[in-house]
Amino acid sequence: MSSTPRKRPAPDALVAGIVVVILIALVVAVFLTGAGSTLYPPNAVTSQAHEIRGLYDIVFAFAVAIFIVVEALIVWSVLRYRRRPTDVELPVQTHGNNLVEVIWTVIPTAIVLFLFVISWNTLNNVDAVSDEPDVRIHAIAGQFAWQFEYLDGNGARVATQLVPSYDAETGTGGMAVPVGRSIQVTLDSPDVIHAFYVPRFLFKRDVVPGQTNVFEFNVDEAEAGQVFRGQCAELCGTGHRQMLFNVIALAPADYETWLADLVEKSNATPAPRPSGTVLDVSAEGIRFDTAALQVPADGPFAIAFTNNDPSILHDIDIKDASGAVIQDQATITGGTTANYTYTPLAAGTYTFFCSIHPNMTGTLTAK
Amino acid sequence: MTADSHALTATQEHTPLAGLAHDSRGGISNVVLGMLLFITSEVMFFAGLFAAYFNTRASNSPWPPTEFALTLNPFSLILVATVILISSSFTCQFAVWAIRRNDRTGFLRNIAITFVLGVVFLLLQAYDYSLLFEEGMTLGSGPFGTTYFTLTGFHGAHVFGGVLMLGVVLYRGMSGQFSSRHHDAVEAASLYWHFVDVVWILLFSILYFL
Amino acid sequence: MATHALSPAAQAYSRGTLYEWLTTTDHKKIGIMYVINSFVFFLIGGVLALAVRTELAQPGLQYLTDEHVYNELFTMHATLMIFVFVIPMLAGLGNYAVPLMIGAPDMAFPRINALSLWMLPLGGILLISSFFTGGAAAAGWTSYPPLSAEGPLNSPGAGQDLWIVALVLIGTSSILGGINFLVTIFKMRAPGMTLFRMPIMVWTILVTSVLVVMATPVITSALVMLFIDRNYGGHFFDPFQGGSAVLYQNIFWFYSHPAVYVMVLPAMGVVSEVLPVFSRKPLFGYKAFIFATAGIGALGFSVWAHHMFTTGAVFLPFFSLLTFLIAVPTGVKMFNWVFTLFRGQLTFSTPLVFALGFLTMFLIGGINGAFSASVPVDFALHDTYWVVAHLHYVLFGGSVFGIFAGIYYWFPKWTGRLLDEGLGHLQFWLMFVGFNLTFFPMHMLGIQGMPRRIADYAGDAGWNDWNLAATIGGFLIATSMLPFIWNVFISLRNGAVAGDDPWEGNTLEWATTSPPPPYNFDHLPEIRSERPLFDARHGRTGH
Repeated sequence: MSSTPRKRPAPDALVAGIVVVILIALVVAVFLTGAGSTLYPPNAVTSQAHEIRGLYDIVFAFAVAIFIVVEALIVWSVLRYRRRPTDVELPVQTHGNNLVEVIWTVIPTAIVLFLFVISWNTLNNVDAVSDEPDVRIHAIAGQFAWQFEYLDGNGARVATQLVPSYDAETGTGGMAVPVGRSIQVTLDSPDVIHAFYVPRFLFKRDVVPGQTNVFEFNVDEAEAGQVFRGQCAELCGTGHRQMLFNVIALAPADYETWLADLVEKSNATPAPRPSGTVLDVSAEGIRFDTAALQVPADGPFAIAFTNNDPSILHDIDIKDASGAVIQDQATITGGTTANYTYTPLAAGTYTFFCSIHPNMTGTLTAK
Repeated sequence: MTADSHALTATQEHTPLAGLAHDSRGGISNVVLGMLLFITSEVMFFAGLFAAYFNTRASNSPWPPTEFALTLNPFSLILVATVILISSSFTCQFAVWAIRRNDRTGFLRNIAITFVLGVVFLLLQAYDYSLLFEEGMTLGSGPFGTTYFTLTGFHGAHVFGGVLMLGVVLYRGMSGQFSSRHHDAVEAASLYWHFVDVVWILLFSILYFL
Repeated sequence: MATHALSPAAQAYSRGTLYEWLTTTDHKKIGIMYVINSFVFFLIGGVLALAVRTELAQPGLQYLTDEHVYNELFTMHATLMIFVFVIPMLAGLGNYAVPLMIGAPDMAFPRINALSLWMLPLGGILLISSFFTGGAAAAGWTSYPPLSAEGPLNSPGAGQDLWIVALVLIGTSSILGGINFLVTIFKMRAPGMTLFRMPIMVWTILVTSVLVVMATPVITSALVMLFIDRNYGGHFFDPFQGGSAVLYQNIFWFYSHPAVYVMVLPAMGVVSEVLPVFSRKPLFGYKAFIFATAGIGALGFSVWAHHMFTTGAVFLPFFSLLTFLIAVPTGVKMFNWVFTLFRGQLTFSTPLVFALGFLTMFLIGGINGAFSASVPVDFALHDTYWVVAHLHYVLFGGSVFGIFAGIYYWFPKWTGRLLDEGLGHLQFWLMFVGFNLTFFPMHMLGIQGMPRRIADYAGDAGWNDWNLAATIGGFLIATSMLPFIWNVFISLRNGAVAGDDPWEGNTLEWATTSPPPPYNFDHLPEIRSERPLFDARHGRTGH
């Protein structure tokens, strides 16, 4: 900047320049080393996610470049052009310059048009949906649990996964998919808006009531055996953060076994109504039909439970007075029944509740 | 840029209210400009409602639903109400022209007629609502009922607001507050009344004919 | 600059000071009350934010037993900050500045101005009162139906209805204020004050007012429809009865995206006043800046659906393209600001320091916005903490830093006293560090997959450290308010006397006394450029 119109001590510019260079070096160092890695998405695991990741990296490179250039200009100006006690006369009153205005209009326009074009390109790949996918899954997001219906080639349901989260101990639960195959997911909601979000897919899609959204993905072959976190990403009420699920990537052969198990479980004849103490409870409109139950103390008992909320999951678990869950039952979907058998309870007062809906509670007395 | 009075210079008298109520810049007055901007915002409000109407209509067929297929008959009482409201726009404009000529009698006569026509329109609309209720069409009758009553209801509320404005103008006119030089409130009220009229013409054509 | 009270008659009334303030139609008193009212709600909204951050400090529930309360907290935090703090605060700064800057004695409709003001505390109190009437609105500040509809798991109770009524009220206040600004700017400019000699602050208020007048009624229509759905059995947004859930989002964002510019354009105006004064140079590219402002305003109406990329119900390429394009005029402004500093003589008074905070932080808010404009990248980032980071870099890093620049800049004009520089710098650095510590980590949280609006998260998800950092930063921001409040308190009593023009300002408000008399001026300098006071001080030779 030797063309500065006024006399300035040279060290001023030098110091400003050095500070700016150090700052730039710091920023670049952060981005190139592990410290900056948290600014990149987690490793992508689907072919669609790889495309998004590639796009992200390009956008990110532009972002960092623009950030460095502009912030460096600001910092440099701030350090370089401090007003000195000797600055009595006005600096040169520059009102503008049409050439530079055109330059900094045209160059950003070119950059954003480029970003738009590559984004659009990627979008077409990410959003592509085939007519004949290898696997069809119908995901239903109701407050506050996911259900995954596995469909055959004609769209008929063959089995339903009612346990959305994977349990490492029992190896049950979760939405299993074969790696290397195209998986088409259709999304429906019986109540409010939810969103299907798996961070490592770098993807989410809203689940909008009254509108069926579709998307497709192919999990990388190398990911067989991996379990990925998923979560509802659109505020859906009090239980929003509990709307978790897992996607389990399996080798195709393992997937077939897994699906066969699920089909078998789905088709299993429900246990007959047990003898002994059996209470009838039903749920409708996100409410139990009773707020108080009574069972004999120290004896086994059962609840014949009917869920009348279409596409919504319910169950009846039991908490003791301290709030600890002492008996846990599997959830059932709307329009089905289950016979829950419970182990004997000592005399006292307990709470029965639906594990999905915090407002569904009642008192259970054992005496 | 012409000179104007509200920026006080040393040569001018120090009247604190100078420039507040009067504006000598020429062209449109503060009140009329304010009303035009207010009408702009009202247009956007109705645009939101109309957007909702068309969106709802596009995703529901048949429209109107079979049970209300013949309920909204344009050649009924509503046509009379429409003619009344359109006529009132004319009488309102006659009132404006009259006061511009300083014809206070003509102004008062026309503004009074406009006022009465506005009230009659509201009464007819209320009666028409009661007929619809008898046929079982309410705000809760599916998207059809919801959109119909929301759109016409908000229009009715705006007519009511316009009638109030006309009432104030009539009252002020009767106490001789308007003249050919000073009648911004009349111009503003008439603009609003024309706006209400245009919205009704749109509503009537879309709800009953389209 | 000898000025004196214009109206001797004004002294004849001897009502109490309180009565005078409550009944005033003076734009200056109204402006100050706007600022005070907004600041009070800023503090309340800030407390709610601390409650949110405390809950998220580490995994597990910290103090909440009912997670529904968490939803109320962030819903009301956003609602208060947007509708009763940022928008009215900027309207308040404008209310004080605009008539002075264009050489007018008051706003065009002083009584409507008072009405606009008094609707705000009423709306704010309605919002707060919902906490005591069975629970506040808890469906997020966006209140998407069906979640915001009536229903046991949706939004039962009066809170959501109070929220709707309050927002309609505040919206009406905004619309009336916008009309008032527009008529004032178009009709009440002093002789010589042509449109292209108006200060940038006035230009940004002009464009903002156009946005308000054209967009706010649209959200009013959405709120009215939601109210009808909730209370009178309507079916606008009920997807199971022929309505459409996405329809609400379209109407809502048709307002709420322009609203983002309503919240940031006047802050840009403040910065565009502060930078030239403290670098002793004119704003670089005055006209380009105006065209960029108008361009942002116009484009602002055609990008709303970029909030809805993941709904699967909008035409993605169109909204993506326009969203990218809106970065261009914003970039033009950024370069104009930087080149205003370039080769200037910078005095680091508190207003400039906050304005520099605006530049450096708003830049980040602009850049990370480009990520969301890219639709596939938005699929990854939408509804995660990335979005929370982005919007706070725009609304806090941009608007709030701009607001404080404006408060420090105009406080001497409002009160005749200067705020203390040391405390001002202390506040800035606490706020700057706290702000970045709070919101920068949210980028990482979002990228790593933490969704918004969750009361708790798994301890093994890798989000613990960043959340803790953000919580500490949040309390640092809160701490930064203490020196500010103390500064106002002591400066009002013992602050240095400001005089008419403590900063060597460029615009007309510095031509009158501090504080100005009722009706503002008894003498105006000649207006031959956008810097009439600079011309008066230096003559035309300065150019």
